[in-house]
Amino acid sequence: MAYFIQVLIDAVALGSLYALVALAIGLVFGVMKLINFAQADYLTVGAYSLVIPTAAATPSMMFGGLPWALMIFCVVLSITVLALITERVAFRPLRNTDPTTLLISSFAVSYFLQSLIIMFHGGRPKSVSIGAALTRPIDILGLRVGGVQFLTMTVALLLLIALVLFLKRTSIGIQLRAAAEDFSMARLLGVAANRVIAIAFAISGILGGVISLLFVIQTGTLDIRMGIMPTVYAFFATVIGGIGSLPGAVLGGYIVGILSVFLQAYLPEEMRPFRDAGVFTIVILILLVRPQGLIVTSAAKERV
Amino acid sequence: MKTFGHLICAGLAFALSNSSALAQDAKEPIKVGFATALSGWLAAYDEEPHKAAVMKIEEINKAGGVLGRQIEYKVLDTKTDLTLTGSVASELVDWGANMLVVPPDYDYGSPAALVAQNAGLIAISTGASDPKMGAQGVGPNVFTAHSASQISGITSAEYAYDKMGARTAYMLEDVSIEATKAACAGFIAAWEKKGGKLLGRDTFQKEDASIAAQVTRIKGLETPPDMMFLCATMPQGPAAVRQLRAANIDMPIFADTGMGGDFWLGGVPGLKDFYVPAIMSIKGDPRPEIQKFLAAYKARWGTLPVSEFSVLGYCTIEQWTAAVEKAQSTDTEAVVAVMNQFKDQPTTCGPTSYTPEMHIQVDRPLLVSKVVDGSFEAVEIFRNSFAPDFKLLFRVSQ
Repeated sequence: MAYFIQVLIDAVALGSLYALVALAIGLVFGVMKLINFAQADYLTVGAYSLVIPTAAATPSMMFGGLPWALMIFCVVLSITVLALITERVAFRPLRNTDPTTLLISSFAVSYFLQSLIIMFHGGRPKSVSIGAALTRPIDILGLRVGGVQFLTMTVALLLLIALVLFLKRTSIGIQLRAAAEDFSMARLLGVAANRVIAIAFAISGILGGVISLLFVIQTGTLDIRMGIMPTVYAFFATVIGGIGSLPGAVLGGYIVGILSVFLQAYLPEEMRPFRDAGVFTIVILILLVRPQGLIVTSAAKERV
Repeated sequence: MKTFGHLICAGLAFALSNSSALAQDAKEPIKVGFATALSGWLAAYDEEPHKAAVMKIEEINKAGGVLGRQIEYKVLDTKTDLTLTGSVASELVDWGANMLVVPPDYDYGSPAALVAQNAGLIAISTGASDPKMGAQGVGPNVFTAHSASQISGITSAEYAYDKMGARTAYMLEDVSIEATKAACAGFIAAWEKKGGKLLGRDTFQKEDASIAAQVTRIKGLETPPDMMFLCATMPQGPAAVRQLRAANIDMPIFADTGMGGDFWLGGVPGLKDFYVPAIMSIKGDPRPEIQKFLAAYKARWGTLPVSEFSVLGYCTIEQWTAAVEKAQSTDTEAVVAVMNQFKDQPTTCGPTSYTPEMHIQVDRPLLVSKVVDGSFEAVEIFRNSFAPDFKLLFRVSQ
């Protein structure tokens, strides 16, 4: 039983991380019908911004050397600016084209950013330690909760609450939800397209910056491909949650995170290497039963 | 007509014999072709062995060359691209290379090695740890200067059992990379052979955001194991170590050769009881020949190498020229025959052995190193006594 609860904590912590990434992807998809694969690279760039760009194997700190409040601010700000720039340069001019074109553009942005990192930082993975004090396990009623897991769950919860308040209580938040529901209708009613889309990207950038910090605190490792797997998982999360639905994205994030940890914990040893096959089989089954995803928005429904 | 044909034959024969005689007289240079990843992700692993190899060539030329002939070399960038790797190798063959030095990776080196094999030339990979870079894989003219991946696992098992008195172990395996899986296979085989007890094993995957479930399983063991073997490499290896230590999993950890090098230790502050069987130590290697190599490298390139794999490039040229010297020829067949007879041939990397079937090192001593105060320190040179058979090397029926 203790083992089960321990695994559950591990699962929820990983789910929180995926939920945050899924939320960023879901938000941008909602307003723009763009699956932004460059979200992976926002995460990577955020992590790399902790160190000075150099090909050296042991780089000195850049943002990573600042006091923690300033470090968080600088990383989050840079990724937000990066997200806004990519929106302005790579996505806004293509807004009225096919969604496929947008998708291709997001792949291009992703490869561009990866190459940029190789150019400035070299291709070798690097190590950096921030927030080592936060990684120590905390004992709660005899249960071991990893410091980072605790942090991830707390941060995810706070961000979700903040986002819900923003979306429900502020005027721009309501416009954003309206745009996510039915973009053309929202525009007809006076919602400024450029503004809501920029806001969506800014939020995805803020989320990207925060996730990158959580990631680095946990792994202490920088690698050009570090953002890809969480983003792929998050993409599946948005699909099973119901694409375009923000609560769905969060739910999906928790589902894939929890599935992945439970399969790792309970599969027999020789089956564990095929854990991801298990996760994605269940994803396919969910989609077969509910092709629209678990939470269906009115925008996703077929209109007659 | 018949006489005319005879005349042509005779003329041709004369011309041929004459030209080869001329070549010998003029002391034509020996040509070494480098198909090297100077850009792309593999460059981080190929540049230093390449520089070391170039340095060895320069040293040899300074000392009068091989067979009294100077060595000329040509470098072409494979750009870490599989197709390009094959075509630059062909270009080097056309240039007239006597042998090819190919990238330190089976996947990204084999296309070049195959071109050499088909052209009847020797190819040596500076660092492939897969035995397929050899007689049973790419072909009988292909060698690798490195040890098989299994050796770091075998060395860890034997060292922990013999020298540290470990009797129980746990194994954590990154299953997304063949080389790390091979290291784990080597560990299991040697650990069982020693009679050690394996308390459990678990897997993780490259780019796993968290290994919390694996940590929980280890924490759930009734008795903590005496040691852990972690087969992982960059970048997921350091990430795993950070998460293990953060969860207060404190037993000695042995890891794969790929995790040697101080550059990642900043990611796990205060790390201790962490061991790696390494090829060499950049600072404080007890072997004078390695110290000499490092000093020469620094003098030639202005800075010490970052990676322990750099020295393998040096030994690639060292062993090939030793074989050429012994064969008194650059002829592939003659040189391969000599290399196949190498039995503890002394090189800077340590005793080097090949057989006609085994074109990779299976019992070259490794330098067991330990992390002390944020950097690796040499503990001792250790040579494994259990040599993997072909079944273990190729991981068949396991």
